[in-house]
Amino acid sequence: MSFLTLERVAKLWPDGTSAVRGADLAIQEGELVVLLGPSGCGKTTTLRMIAGLESPTSGRIRLAGSDVTDLPPARRDVGFVFQFYALYPHMTVAENIAFPLECAGLSHGERDAAVRRVAERLGLVDLLQRRPRSLSGGDQQRVGLARAMVRRPRLWLMDEPLGSLDAARRAEMCELIRVQQLQDRVTTIYVTHDQEEAMRLADRVVVMSQGEIVQVGAPGEVYDHPATLFVARFVGSPGMNLVEGVVHRGEFQPARTDVRIPLAHAAPDGPAVLGARPEHVRLDPTGPLAGRVALDAEAGPWRHVHVEGPYGRVLAQTVERRGALRGAEARIAFDPTGIRLFDPESGRSLA
Amino acid sequence: MSPDSAPARRRGAGIAWGLVGPVLLLLVAFNVFPLVYNVVLSFTSRELVGDDWRWVGGANYERVFTDPLFAGALRRTALFVLCAVGAELVLGFVLALALVRGFRGKGAVLAVVLVPMMLSPAVMGLFGALVLNGNYGVLNQILGGLGLPQPQWLSDRGLKFWSVVLIDVWMWTPFMTLIALAGLSSIPAQVHEAAAIDRASRWRVFTRITLPMTAPLLGLAVLLRATDALKQFDLVMATTGPNDAATQTLSTLLYQVVFRDGKVGLGAAFACVVLVVVIALATVFTRYLEHLRRAREA
Repeated sequence: MSFLTLERVAKLWPDGTSAVRGADLAIQEGELVVLLGPSGCGKTTTLRMIAGLESPTSGRIRLAGSDVTDLPPARRDVGFVFQFYALYPHMTVAENIAFPLECAGLSHGERDAAVRRVAERLGLVDLLQRRPRSLSGGDQQRVGLARAMVRRPRLWLMDEPLGSLDAARRAEMCELIRVQQLQDRVTTIYVTHDQEEAMRLADRVVVMSQGEIVQVGAPGEVYDHPATLFVARFVGSPGMNLVEGVVHRGEFQPARTDVRIPLAHAAPDGPAVLGARPEHVRLDPTGPLAGRVALDAEAGPWRHVHVEGPYGRVLAQTVERRGALRGAEARIAFDPTGIRLFDPESGRSLA
Repeated sequence: MSPDSAPARRRGAGIAWGLVGPVLLLLVAFNVFPLVYNVVLSFTSRELVGDDWRWVGGANYERVFTDPLFAGALRRTALFVLCAVGAELVLGFVLALALVRGFRGKGAVLAVVLVPMMLSPAVMGLFGALVLNGNYGVLNQILGGLGLPQPQWLSDRGLKFWSVVLIDVWMWTPFMTLIALAGLSSIPAQVHEAAAIDRASRWRVFTRITLPMTAPLLGLAVLLRATDALKQFDLVMATTGPNDAATQTLSTLLYQVVFRDGKVGLGAAFACVVLVVVIALATVFTRYLEHLRRAREA
């Protein structure tokens, strides 16, 4: 029995647009699940329905064995971290963190002790007497996190908590959240549009697009075996290279070429889209596909070389610092084990 | 020529004086001069008619501080400010709480609620006198129709003061509602959501979030209303007149002394004392508001 389950949960806005279309999801106790997708894909709405801040149009939500679909947030026992912090501006940091305990009727002594403990874990001790407005964005969000943690709720729900922080702060906070979550093993659902954040944090990633869950899996699985063209494009930075063509007798022929690329796995004959991560594409003078270098960019340890040909544009990742400069002729080859095939009609993986 | 050469600077100064001058002139003519002239008058025995006057030193002030009429008016005005503004604050806030949620026809309801505030106080006073009239007033006709007693709202000694308070509340509650609405709608929806997640009861949300977050704005509204109520004049003039001992406020007493009794010197002393009281109260209040603002940003 899963700790949290969504059964055909759907949300229709009054204006008729569909935010979430029948989401099914089962989450185990202690798991950190990331809802990942572009803006408007329904991930935040899904999270808000789990919190009780939004009620689903249809479907059921079960938490720890009981149906909570129609319960208000207060009766679900969850902690929520808001994208824009939503701290109480007139209260000090200490009062903000203590507020859930105050509502639970704890004495001043118990509250102070609990606030102290959380503040120490999150490095907020020196800020306890300050007010939210005088804190940086990162510090404000740590207060938001502390407020969600202090009562030890059954679920931590985080709605793009790092969305308004700068890159350096984001990496630091990401680590902080994961460490805290692993320590308490509180079941956590985390919403983000940033696939790197998702990869870094998640036990499992739930990729959403246009109100639907398109893939659920471990980060590595989603990265290595995207279920659809959308996931292939969206996950990874940059996303997967996609080349249209046809499969014929175990070989792939890119469109507008007469080149044949042998496939490691069997695939049905017919039109297909070949997907390959940049790290599975190499510059190779003997490679099958010829083209011209349209762009080359440094990417830290690697160089990204964009090769353009009649088949489209393919990005190859190379460790070589020199060679294949813009405008030059180049040939590329695919690593056979890195090749994925998709149905061009449905977008689904053919593996 | 460099811009900060002597002639250019002179010309700059000329423009500056040209711009500020008219305002300065108006300020001196209509604020500074009357104030100074009033202080001068307060040490004389000047009357409204006749040129026969002399310096009397502090005699007028002595009179003000010993006059039971002044003490009475001061007490009555304080009571008026306290009761009227207090009732307006509570009623206005409750009304705002009812109106803050969106519903069909909210705009129309709000417009109707705001009407009394838009009318001139003199008109509201006359209206009030009409409604509260003991013999043919609408209120008493309704009360009579229901078989209830019909008190003499504006002539009963114990009632008329409260009738004036009632008219003021009728007129100015919408103002409090308007300001409270602005305060309430400035609380972000997410703060309420956070409170729901934190399992705050409705009462706790009200006392710990809604009230403290609207308090600074309400404080400002109270300050504005209190300074205005301190000058209460129109409503009293329109209902019971300036010389009714039961409803005489500082302003109407002042009017009585200067324009009915013609004692300009005494009235001037009187006005000076009132001014000092008002400035003292306003200072205390603005300090308090400043303190609230600082505490919030610490």
